[in-house]
Amino acid sequence: MNYLDYLTSNAQQIVFLTQAHFLVVLIAVGLGSAISVALGLAVSTGEPDPRRFSFDWFAAGVREGGLVFTAALLTVPSLALYALFLPFTGLGVTTAIIVLTVYTLYTVLRNTVAGLTTVDRAVLESARGLGYGRMRRLLTIQLPLAWPVILNGIRVTTLISISIAVVGAVVQGPGLGILLLNGISRIGAANSFYQVLTGTLFCLIVAAVFEIFFAIVQRLTIPRGIRV
Amino acid sequence: MSETTDQPVVETPEGAGKSDMIVLEGVEKIYPGSDAPAVSQLDMAIPQGEIVMLIGPSGCGKTTTLKMINRLIEPTAGRILLDGKDVTHVNGDQLRREIGYVIQQGGLFPHFSIADNIGVVPKMLGWDKQRIRARADELLHLVGLEPSTFRDRYPRQLSGGQQQRVGVARALAADPPVMLMDEPFGAIDPITRDRLQDEFLDIQRTVGKTIAFVTHDLQEAVKLGDKIAVFATGKLEQYDDPDTILTRPANDFVSDFVGGGAAVRRLSLVELAHLELHPIETDEKAADSRNGVAVAEVDGSGKPVSWRHLPGGDAAAVPLVTVPLSGTVYDAVDVMLDGSASLVAVVDEEGRAQGVLHWNDLVGGLRTRKGHA
Repeated sequence: MNYLDYLTSNAQQIVFLTQAHFLVVLIAVGLGSAISVALGLAVSTGEPDPRRFSFDWFAAGVREGGLVFTAALLTVPSLALYALFLPFTGLGVTTAIIVLTVYTLYTVLRNTVAGLTTVDRAVLESARGLGYGRMRRLLTIQLPLAWPVILNGIRVTTLISISIAVVGAVVQGPGLGILLLNGISRIGAANSFYQVLTGTLFCLIVAAVFEIFFAIVQRLTIPRGIRV
Repeated sequence: MSETTDQPVVETPEGAGKSDMIVLEGVEKIYPGSDAPAVSQLDMAIPQGEIVMLIGPSGCGKTTTLKMINRLIEPTAGRILLDGKDVTHVNGDQLRREIGYVIQQGGLFPHFSIADNIGVVPKMLGWDKQRIRARADELLHLVGLEPSTFRDRYPRQLSGGQQQRVGVARALAADPPVMLMDEPFGAIDPITRDRLQDEFLDIQRTVGKTIAFVTHDLQEAVKLGDKIAVFATGKLEQYDDPDTILTRPANDFVSDFVGGGAAVRRLSLVELAHLELHPIETDEKAADSRNGVAVAEVDGSGKPVSWRHLPGGDAAAVPLVTVPLSGTVYDAVDVMLDGSASLVAVVDEEGRAQGVLHWNDLVGGLRTRKGHA
């Protein structure tokens, strides 16, 4: 059996697993990004006044704490984190998605905070001077100007997630990990190398689809005045 | 031209009948955690339609004072009145929409087109789209930018000077009676800055806003200000018209701040049109009169080209230099130094000689024409 024969005879399964892989990543990145951007927006509105206790202090605390916590999560080996969630959420899709979501948090949060806090102070100052309230400033000035940086964070986290999602197969999560794990566990047996090869190649295809998707999103959502 | 007075060169322009647009009463700012007030017990009134320049060294409280007027910084004590209305406790965001605000480099929103940048305040005030667009075009005209070229551009496509013009247009958008300007021309090259200042004065002649203007540049303060407020560590040291600040500093601090160049700076306050000049003759028949009147050779269009006779001097050795009547004594001195000439012919718009200013007049005391000072 050559590789093409293998592909054609297993086409249905391969397409199904690729779609599943794509969806798991999409859902996890979607959830993680929503959480991180929302948290980032909530805690990056102002600079705390060093001489006075205010909401900004609380926000800054949550911001720095959140960054440390999500960074720590990112360093936990993925294999271990999937296993650690098993007693609580069992085998299957739920665990796969929860763990994957956890891994998307840090990059997006870091980029959201960086994007929002590095907006030109002169721009924010003039917005305030013209009568922009805090909320209006955050949503119509800070967020659009930080958006390219935030979007880049989401893009990077997506690529990382595609490979981490493979490990999800150990908790019977859906996706190309099933193919890879199967191939690896039977290495030397019939078609085992083809399975590993297919799992790898189709991960690349999923990544390519996401890259095209993000190129379009970038084009559509980054305001013309700040496009590079 | 025969009547002269012995008054000083420039009189104090009295704002007769003008009401005070901005009034600060006992205003004080103490930043939390600090003992010394950034601004202490400040009383100041800015008459309607005047430009007041706030000047002083870093940390003197000039910017804090400016930002307390639109309550970007909340005063710790005191009252702020705008056009007679106490605004110390009204909603800050609402208040700021009714006050123009310009900062260094314009602070334009990079993701908004030029027209949208100008339209931000009208939009918040609920104007309809058409009116906002028409207003943006009108203001682009006013600040000397062609609307069809600029309205759809983005800030990064504009030079610093152009951005600053848009910044001024944006502040004027909702036609606020009061404008606050925080070193608007501070980050701009000297040549462009000079032109922007001239344009700014032109615009002010049209719009007649009440303006508080922070600067650290004394030259700018003298050039633009109807009045100058000199600050030192939270205190207003002197609040007067530019000439008084330069000639009669209230104390050592002001006199140190104004520095040694005061006498020279003052020259730019004296307009040639207001001066009593020496007569000049351009007629052939006057050539032999030898009565102490300078005589110039003119070309076909009546413009003086060289000296024919100078009282008590060798006419051939002195080059003829001219300065427009609309200029200041500063310009005249500049021209004289540049041309190595001890006197300058003052010419009108058509280039015809109107009079002569001698180098010696500068040290001998300048005389102003009656009714023009």
